[in-house]
Amino acid sequence: MGVKLLLEKAHVVGIRTYEVYRREGGYRSVEKALKMATTYVVEEVKKSGLRGRGGAGFPTGLKWNFIAKTEGVPRHLVVNADESEPGTFKDRYLMEFIPHILIEGMIVSSYALGSNVSYIYIRGEYAWIVDILEQAIAEAKLNGFLGKNILGTGFDCEIYVHRGAGAYICGEETALIESLEGKRGNPRIKPPFPAVKGVWGRPTVVNNVETIAAIVSIINNGGDEYAKIGIGKSTGTKLMSACGNINKPGVYEIDMTISVEEFIYSDEYCGGMANGKKLKACIPGGSSVPILPANLLLTTAKGEKRLMNYESLSDGGFTTGSMMGSGGFIILNEDQCVVKHTYTLARFYRHESCGQCSPCREGTGWMEKILLNIENGKAKLSDIDLLWDIQRKIEGNTICPLGDAAAWPVAAAIRHFRDEFEWHVKNPEACLTSNYGLAHYADPIHIPVLT
Amino acid sequence: MADEIKKEAPVAFKVTIDNITIDVAPGTTILNAARQIGGDVTPPAMCYYSKLEGSGGKCRSCLVEVAAGSTADSRPMPKLMASCRTTVMDGMIVKNMTSEKVIDARNGVVEFLLINHPLDCPICDQAGECHLQDLGYKHGVESTRYEFKRRTFEKEDIGPFIQLHMTRCILCYRCTYIADQITDKRVHGILDRGDHAEISTYISKAIDNDFSGNMIDVCPVGALTDKTFRFKNRVWFTKPVDAHRNCENPKCCGKATLWLRGDEVYRVTSRKDEWGEVQSYNGQVGWICNTCRFEKKKTNDWTIEGLTTISRHSVIGANKYATLEMPIDTIKKVLHGRDPKLLMNIHNVSGVNNPNIHLSEIDRSSQMEDFVKSNDFIKGEGESTQWGLPKE
Repeated sequence: MGVKLLLEKAHVVGIRTYEVYRREGGYRSVEKALKMATTYVVEEVKKSGLRGRGGAGFPTGLKWNFIAKTEGVPRHLVVNADESEPGTFKDRYLMEFIPHILIEGMIVSSYALGSNVSYIYIRGEYAWIVDILEQAIAEAKLNGFLGKNILGTGFDCEIYVHRGAGAYICGEETALIESLEGKRGNPRIKPPFPAVKGVWGRPTVVNNVETIAAIVSIINNGGDEYAKIGIGKSTGTKLMSACGNINKPGVYEIDMTISVEEFIYSDEYCGGMANGKKLKACIPGGSSVPILPANLLLTTAKGEKRLMNYESLSDGGFTTGSMMGSGGFIILNEDQCVVKHTYTLARFYRHESCGQCSPCREGTGWMEKILLNIENGKAKLSDIDLLWDIQRKIEGNTICPLGDAAAWPVAAAIRHFRDEFEWHVKNPEACLTSNYGLAHYADPIHIPVLT
Repeated sequence: MADEIKKEAPVAFKVTIDNITIDVAPGTTILNAARQIGGDVTPPAMCYYSKLEGSGGKCRSCLVEVAAGSTADSRPMPKLMASCRTTVMDGMIVKNMTSEKVIDARNGVVEFLLINHPLDCPICDQAGECHLQDLGYKHGVESTRYEFKRRTFEKEDIGPFIQLHMTRCILCYRCTYIADQITDKRVHGILDRGDHAEISTYISKAIDNDFSGNMIDVCPVGALTDKTFRFKNRVWFTKPVDAHRNCENPKCCGKATLWLRGDEVYRVTSRKDEWGEVQSYNGQVGWICNTCRFEKKKTNDWTIEGLTTISRHSVIGANKYATLEMPIDTIKKVLHGRDPKLLMNIHNVSGVNNPNIHLSEIDRSSQMEDFVKSNDFIKGEGESTQWGLPKE
């Protein structure tokens, strides 16, 4: 049984209400933090080694340090709850079951950053969670944890919930800021970074829901204690939302020391593959990270066991590794078609591209059309190379990471599953009715012996 | 004292672009620094417009490689940077034409911009002064790899003066910036997102204000064109002259370029500089009002100053220069007294053109053999006339 910090109390009856949450030890961190100096709180977060849980894995303490502290200019904390990545649903679970942990974390973070008005930008589809959060905010306010002069310390803080309108791109921090300001959700060109010019031109920190929730235990137990959990630079616990062909899909809190194999097959987590099928491929961190075939997923190219943490999942770069991403663990069994799966993702990114910069606007649509042709057996072999060339020209040349997010899954699918693409082209009839199957994707990989 | 001087920010930053070093003021973007050098060093810009605040960064055609960030931090930047929105640092080393990565990425951008472009240049009024044409000539390829139906949009009428062709649009956003910055109220914008994003007025409203015509001048492609000039002439047949008039509108500078053919004014635009941008006068950008642009179409409305200087290498520049150098030597002189003549009279070698065989006499589809078999081949120059007919 791993350590649980976020979901420990998630299933206590009535934890959604303030009374039960407070009885279970809630809001202790606010009482503790507000007695400390703000720099001390930031220092604790730095010590904890907490990394952003939204996908990029940027150290949170460092991000907080970057915020411009111009005298007389208000600062803002914005919580990114626009969780729209296909396969990721961890924030939804957290906000739905224990909303107060987010509010508590936000009060502490707002205090540390000097934000008197903080926002939760939540995706519009989470309509019922807005009500849950607003209820929690009202309760916190009623009990003196929000509003003017919190706990008599003279610190004022208000939290507002802002509903998005269903755009994936608004999960990108600068697009989120634009949307929060009431404008079209187009990502801004960086620099200036939000830490200098964010919401209404004021210094802003945008953090993921899970990151902010993790602040609570960092303050309660101390940054050093938090840093002891996990391995290396992957400290603390991480929520994983597992889905796909497994026995127990759901949200799991892991302490980043377990192996991928254990996560998939142990009864504590995913409970093995459903219906006795074999594992074919997996996207370990939400739809935009590279897909890995079964053999590379379980062991790295060096032949080591792959662990569920930032370093191990990205071991080998994009050639033989992937990314931790946002923790959307999507598992494909031998019956799944990688081409169709890649097409589905390409369709998603085409639909969600904001259309601001040309490579993403035009390239995502082009990739989708070619992938549809390959999936339906209407393509040529040269189309696979063309697809590779298109993704290469999108990646890194766009304003925001959505271009990369659209290019990576296509690149990884061609890199690891090229023969499945070729099979689709060469067997235009068969690919409509049957499947390429597991093929050699679970075979042990050849490990070069180092001399 | 010496310490104090050191602390002050340097007056000029040294930046090296394609091995050419230049001193520029701090805060200058890479693109503007390159424009100060000029020539091939300057990256193309489809969406950036120096006179429009906030423009740029969208088309990605100005991407450059930053080989060294600055003197203090000489690490290269990991990604290609949009030169129009990246400010220079002291000691920055930039690669534009000398970087293969940049050329590759730029070729990609041109391809992306063209896959859904209708390529209707033969009927487009912008042809000849189109930035996408220039970019395509320089970085494009001859054929397309795109095998799908090109994107189309529902036609929308945005008023009596401006024609909107959404299919040609590259979504540079310049026209929305201009509506925000020089007109009181913007009534058009970008609707939808991704590859179906379009410029629109939402409920088919006419764009009606005194300065809306400047949208045409800033549009890099033929998406916004002048309705009063529509299909009237090709731009390279018209002669541009600088002219001015005392405009009643206080915001209008009254300085324009008239595009003439004979004495007739076909079109009025604001004056453009070498980068295709509207010129500034005493710090004021020379936008012109719709009255000047669309209604003053007589030469006596204007005081003509003289020919507009334009790049002689541009399409519009063709045949415009009286001083165009003509070769002094005639062909006869070059060929040492011989008259020019065709190298071969094709009628003598082509059997198909042999008039002794009548196609109507062949009772099936004609084949080569029908011509070869006949001995009526006429050989030798002296035997035939200029047209290959036998001499009577």
